[in-house]
Amino acid sequence: MLEPFFKWMEGLAVYGASIYMGPAVNIVHLVAMVIFLGSILLVDLRLLGAGLTHQPRSVVARDAYPWTIGSFLMLVVTGVPALMATATAQYGNSIFWVKMYLLGIGVIYLFTLRRTVAYSDERRFGAGTAQVVGFASIVIWLSVAALARLIMMIPGNTFAWLVGN
Amino acid sequence: MMLLDIARWMDANLPGGPYLRESTYGFSILLTLHVVFMCIFLGLLVMMDLRLVGIANLRTRAFDIQRRLFSWYVVGFVLLSVTGLLLVWAQPLRYYGKTFFWWKMGLMVLAGLNAGWIHSITHRSEEAWDSGRAKFAGGVSLVLWLAVLTLGRLVAYEWYTTDYF
Repeated sequence: MLEPFFKWMEGLAVYGASIYMGPAVNIVHLVAMVIFLGSILLVDLRLLGAGLTHQPRSVVARDAYPWTIGSFLMLVVTGVPALMATATAQYGNSIFWVKMYLLGIGVIYLFTLRRTVAYSDERRFGAGTAQVVGFASIVIWLSVAALARLIMMIPGNTFAWLVGN
Repeated sequence: MMLLDIARWMDANLPGGPYLRESTYGFSILLTLHVVFMCIFLGLLVMMDLRLVGIANLRTRAFDIQRRLFSWYVVGFVLLSVTGLLLVWAQPLRYYGKTFFWWKMGLMVLAGLNAGWIHSITHRSEEAWDSGRAKFAGGVSLVLWLAVLTLGRLVAYEWYTTDYF
């Protein structure tokens, strides 16, 4: 259904004739990814009961929040042109779609359950709940990073059984 | 010449090398794990460096971040090094011929020396973590490690590459 849209995106040739734009955008995307994961892991470790345990959860979460949002915006701004440049190959790649679905789940999770627990008073959600929430967050975001790396490396139909592509 | 001889010897003799070079999944999974461990190591290290510079996680003291996250950097770095060594194990001649790979190794040595400098500045007292020199060294660490990340990505392209195989 979205195939014409993906073809149109690729037809725009966002990088023009430059051979440097692709790698440059890619590198900024990676820098943003490292900052994003750092700000996420700092809070998730705290939820697990590790790292900055001398601070209340909400203090760690509030300090990390602007870095999570800022780096996420940087990821989107660099991720969109990276997708546009290779849109048809991405469209036919099941790993890309698993990454996108998981990314969607991750974003919703980030702004709902994880945010509620990370910003809460420790008396409202116990250590066990926080650990489950933090662990799920780590699994989701490291999986998104891993899937992104796998997109152009392992066969594109690897997850066809899951997303039907 | 000597390093080239070592790379040639590794290429010819290391067990598992041909498997990792030729299999669909071996090298890809190794590279993906390297990226995941990079997110853990570099993500947390960047959070620390941004705190040292004085622009992130300001409600937590740099001293506390260092003390409570140090074991996590060490674990991340060990895992990153093991997967990095295995990547070189799999394709020693490929990496030998990559100019950016050697720049990356050189910058990692500088980043290591800088970590030693941070230690020499801060080991005397907790207050030294908030000094101007510690702030500067934190900025240097940030620049060096992001340069290492950039060069790591550039190794994947064919620029400044000599084929020895």
